[in-house]
Amino acid sequence: MIWQRVTTIFLVCVICLAVVGYFVGLNHVGPNSLSEKSAGLPTDSSTPHGSHIVDDNGDALEHPKLIAAITYSEIPQAAMGPTDKFRAVAKSLPEQTSYDLFAEFKPSQADKEASGRIRASRRAYNGAPPIIPHAVQSTTDAACYACHSNGTQMAGLKASVMSHQFLANCTQCHASPPPTPFQNIDSEVATSFVGLPAPHEGRRAYPGAPPTIPHSQWMRENCLACHGGPNGWAGMESTHPWRTNCTQCHAPSAVLDQAIAADFIPMLPPLDVVNP
Amino acid sequence: MDLKRRSLLKSAAMAAAGSLALSGKNTALPILAAENDLPGGDDLTWNKAPCRFCGTGCHVQVGVADGRVMAIAGDKAADVNKGLLCVKGYHVGGILYGQDRLTKPLLRKDGKLHEISWDQAIDTIAQRIMQAPERFAFYGSGQWTIPEGYAAQKFMKGGLGNNHIDPNARLCMASAVTGFLATYGVDEPAGCYADLDRCDVLITWGNNPAEMHPVLFSRVTDRRSRGEQVKIIDIGTRRTRTTDAASEYLEMKPHGDVAISLGIMHLLIANENYDKNFVKQHCNFRGAEADTPTLQGEAITEDEFRTRIAKYTPEHVEQLSGVPADKIRMLGDLFANRDIRITSLWCMGMNQHTMGTAINSLVHGVHLLSGHFGRPGDAPTSLTGQPSACGTVREVGTLAHALPGGRVVANAEHRQQSEAFWNLKPDSINPAPGYHTVKMFEQFTKATAAGGDIDTIFVQVTNPGQTLPNLNLLFESKKGLEDKFLIVSDVYPTATTELADLILPAAMWVEKNGMFGNSERRTQQWFKMVDPPGEARDDCWMTIAIAHRLFELGHAGMKDRDGQFIFAVKDDQGAEIPIWDFEHYYDTNVDKHLFEEYRQFTTMKHKNLAPYDVYVEARGLRWPVVEQQDGSWRETKFRFSGFDDPFVTQGQEFEFYHSTSGDGRAQIWFHEYAPPPEVPDDEFPFWLCTGRVLEHWHTGTMTRRLAPLNRAMPTAYVEMHADDALELNIRQGELVTIESRRGTAELPVWIDGRGRPARGSVFVPFFDETKLINNCTLEAHDPFSKQPDYKKCAVRITKLAKVTS
Repeated sequence: MIWQRVTTIFLVCVICLAVVGYFVGLNHVGPNSLSEKSAGLPTDSSTPHGSHIVDDNGDALEHPKLIAAITYSEIPQAAMGPTDKFRAVAKSLPEQTSYDLFAEFKPSQADKEASGRIRASRRAYNGAPPIIPHAVQSTTDAACYACHSNGTQMAGLKASVMSHQFLANCTQCHASPPPTPFQNIDSEVATSFVGLPAPHEGRRAYPGAPPTIPHSQWMRENCLACHGGPNGWAGMESTHPWRTNCTQCHAPSAVLDQAIAADFIPMLPPLDVVNP
Repeated sequence: MDLKRRSLLKSAAMAAAGSLALSGKNTALPILAAENDLPGGDDLTWNKAPCRFCGTGCHVQVGVADGRVMAIAGDKAADVNKGLLCVKGYHVGGILYGQDRLTKPLLRKDGKLHEISWDQAIDTIAQRIMQAPERFAFYGSGQWTIPEGYAAQKFMKGGLGNNHIDPNARLCMASAVTGFLATYGVDEPAGCYADLDRCDVLITWGNNPAEMHPVLFSRVTDRRSRGEQVKIIDIGTRRTRTTDAASEYLEMKPHGDVAISLGIMHLLIANENYDKNFVKQHCNFRGAEADTPTLQGEAITEDEFRTRIAKYTPEHVEQLSGVPADKIRMLGDLFANRDIRITSLWCMGMNQHTMGTAINSLVHGVHLLSGHFGRPGDAPTSLTGQPSACGTVREVGTLAHALPGGRVVANAEHRQQSEAFWNLKPDSINPAPGYHTVKMFEQFTKATAAGGDIDTIFVQVTNPGQTLPNLNLLFESKKGLEDKFLIVSDVYPTATTELADLILPAAMWVEKNGMFGNSERRTQQWFKMVDPPGEARDDCWMTIAIAHRLFELGHAGMKDRDGQFIFAVKDDQGAEIPIWDFEHYYDTNVDKHLFEEYRQFTTMKHKNLAPYDVYVEARGLRWPVVEQQDGSWRETKFRFSGFDDPFVTQGQEFEFYHSTSGDGRAQIWFHEYAPPPEVPDDEFPFWLCTGRVLEHWHTGTMTRRLAPLNRAMPTAYVEMHADDALELNIRQGELVTIESRRGTAELPVWIDGRGRPARGSVFVPFFDETKLINNCTLEAHDPFSKQPDYKKCAVRITKLAKVTS
């Protein structure tokens, strides 16, 4: 009787040990196997803290599955972007669609209008610097310049190209979105201000003539910023982007450029013709 | 015209409504469609005007169609801004069109406002003044145009013999004035904005020009992006956008600027590397008298100066200012180097300071002692915050102690000259200075029985209900004093009109003719371009109309020596034009008449101005403007420098021709460091600093009515260090109470916001009339300039019991 009991208890103990041992063994990563795996690996030079040992997946060894947390108050200062692991590895980039300068391009009236409306929604009047329509993390020039120097496209969004040369204080002229903590505050104002409207198109002397420029040229020296190139404004692209001397055919507006002389400039006096 | 405007508004509204559906509340620009009759741009007329906002004095081109301002452009012909503007300037046209513009005179009866006629309004004011002219005070502004300020000045000091006229600029640049007077004997900067194009080092003393004077700051940073080397050193109590662009950031304790400037001078003396030649030829040393200090001070020897400044070693300065001794040495070495050019910029940080006169004088002293003065790029330059703080307040002298052209009421000769120019009877002008701003409102809000001897204040072009320090004491306590009468002329309802007994609707900016004077001595002119709304009228007209009503009531002061009305304007036939009747106000150019009269005052202090018509042609001219042999008018860029200033004796390199010591020399001052009047303690552990943000101008009455700007900054906030917020368990955006010994304000928290204050200090912008931070600020002020210190007082921050988000 007793030996039967002892045997049962003994067997239970053995099975328990075996089961516990099995799982412990599964979880345990032996030092030998690890040092074998990491032997000869180069130190990750992109890791800011040189003391980290990194395995072939690029993970820090002390906490293989943990990403170091930061306090929420540190979030504004924390570095953004890919993880160290991602940055260390050379990546193959998706193939870029090449821009065909000579492809036939005919924007529809609807495209033009939609495009005009979006632009108009970001300006107080024709000629005003556009507001910044998106959330911004940083208002330094470098941050703006990163996307807006040549324009860029990502995930269906397009960053427009700067239409003027680099100036060192972007938010001096371009009003930023509300600060992050105050996004939901109602900022509507009651005003009867009516800005100079957004133009549809320049004027043509006759059907087929090149239209005049319906906006001022100041701060819009780079016509291709909107009217051409892969990052131009959808619906505002030039139908002939290969022609690069725009003002050869399109006359600027002296009124919108405030280039009107104070006094009327007369023509030469009429020819003095003596009739026979 | 009316029909056309209606059709414009209608189609504009339709177009705006169309785009509203697409992009929500932020849309502003209508779209030109074939079927509507909006102006396409070719029918716009453009005209020049200085921007309505800050003291930089950018010129804008104002595009007008159908009697409405429709577009703004930077003026490419303007030397100040060269075609650029800032985000406020680009949207300045919209300030005319807020939907709650005041359009009718309103009189408060039994607590309610009633529309009255202009005639009744002018009569009410004149009757009150007639009853007790000596109990009347005029509170004006650095946004007064030059003719407006001049008319108010002549009306008060000449007409009423009452010196209780002071401007809001008392709160803004009074210490800059006393600093210039103490150092050079005459007000306003010697240099100009051209210094910014030449300096190798730019030092910003408690100044954030990247946000407050962006056009000037980017003039320097754009030089850097063109490849030039400019070192920017930012000395401040919090990190700002200026710090982002700075090569060095020196974080100081409040009042540390005094110690830093003393430390630099100590090093220059101790290392014997100050500019001995310049000091020997052009400078004296000066210190405050021991018993009763005056603005002139007393002469001290160089040895005495050495003895007094000896204790301000870099280590001692580090203790006082918190800036490491090595950095003080770096500044000392910088100033010791004569091969580089150094420009200092400052604005409210040094002016709103209980040692305002002292710190202004000391920074001038650093530049004089080191010889960094008077060459293009070597300049101590004080900036102003209002468009005509210089032109109207400092030059026309609309201060309680001053007369036009650098004169003072206390000087008998100055009074006689002014009486002669104004053709007044002798002794018309009162020799005793009137009440400065803080005193004026103290006397107004104190019960008459308790000695409050001001019972009527006329406020023009400013908003003291939001900008006075310690509002509970100096403004709110007016409530319930039945015999006190507050008259406010403004364009929108403000914190001040809340308590006004009579509200007058004013015309603004290009709704009237005007002239401004900017920070670099530039006098600017513009013409009226559009009509004001409703019954809004010019401030200058109001003053003249009140004066004329007093004239009709028989007030002796409103008659000149020949019995004529003091503001009489005659036409070519010698008949008087009734400019007090608004119907006839624009029959002539009243601005031109007033300006030509005022010009006579300006030569005594060599601040010569050109005739009005010369300014019409120019984008402003910097005084002294002197007529040349060929009849042209030449402006002066660098004052006191022989190569440019026509008043420097031939052959002299420099001459300070208004020197207080009478020997053509400037004064290098010594002032002892003194701690701030209120310092954080256990009960109120935080420093509070107040100021501005890029998007809003002063009390926000104009900019908060502009959609793009209000979107960018919809609320005031309290900026906090992350660790302080953590310690107090405060979350981002949470509403807290700021409390000082004087009052409270509720504001949302922005942890590490646009600026990042040091631990133990918070920053609050003052633009938001729904969150009045000036309930908390301190009315303690500089002993000479009477300018209060808005930059430092002690507060505590408490979480609100209720949770709002």
